[in-house]
Amino acid sequence: MIGSDIIRGHLESVILKLIIEKEMYGYEISNCITSRTKSKFEIKEATLYSVVARLQKKELITSYIGEKSYGGKRRYYRITPLGKAYYEQKQLEWVELKSVLETLLEDKS
Amino acid sequence: MRKIENFVKHTFKDVPKEEKVELIESVTQSLIEKVEDLMENGMTEQKAIDKTVLEFGTAEDFFNTSKKSSKKDKRKKTLAHYKNDLLFSVIGSIIIIAILVYTNLYFLENTIWFVIPSIGILWWPLTILYNLLNKKESRKEDDNE
Repeated sequence: MIGSDIIRGHLESVILKLIIEKEMYGYEISNCITSRTKSKFEIKEATLYSVVARLQKKELITSYIGEKSYGGKRRYYRITPLGKAYYEQKQLEWVELKSVLETLLEDKS
Repeated sequence: MRKIENFVKHTFKDVPKEEKVELIESVTQSLIEKVEDLMENGMTEQKAIDKTVLEFGTAEDFFNTSKKSSKKDKRKKTLAHYKNDLLFSVIGSIIIIAILVYTNLYFLENTIWFVIPSIGILWWPLTILYNLLNKKESRKEDDNE
């Protein structure tokens, strides 16, 4: 189980990425994160919604009310062009960071 | 669903007014969506609500990602306040003790009684100093995190 502190700075990218793949509503996002990481990381709803609210404020995503395939209404989130550009930037940063950390932390035996 | 709404309202009761309404509305809606999803998967309403509330976390989780800087400003201010408090208490106790010494020497020069109340008064700056040191220590810990 990964602590939320260490992943915090990347949550924006994670959520943007998931929304780029498919328009989702809140609980779907958190479910998706849990199932993809096989419960190694579970996002707290409180954290998720604060990140989502911030992304919305920065106009990186927008929301609309949509019908679910069976029944109920859900607030779906959709990526904006700005959000996509932001994500691509973050993606580059991540590749960089990954290689830096690998160089520094990897065991060279 | 009333329960969810109350829970969210309670969680964010200290949020500044301008964002409060919007925040409560959007979070409530998202949580209700979750409850509905859980119920579609066969949970009873009561269980679904409990699970949602339990898994939500706290308002601290919510603000940890966005409000860190403003919290820090506030803390620095209190530390400066504590220093002012200390200064005030030191000057205050010096004045009181001086008056005691004067009264003592002027009216009853043979018995040295001013020491006794002075010891009592000294607890004032000592307590403030203790508070200040504690505050500093906890600030150090916070910064190390």
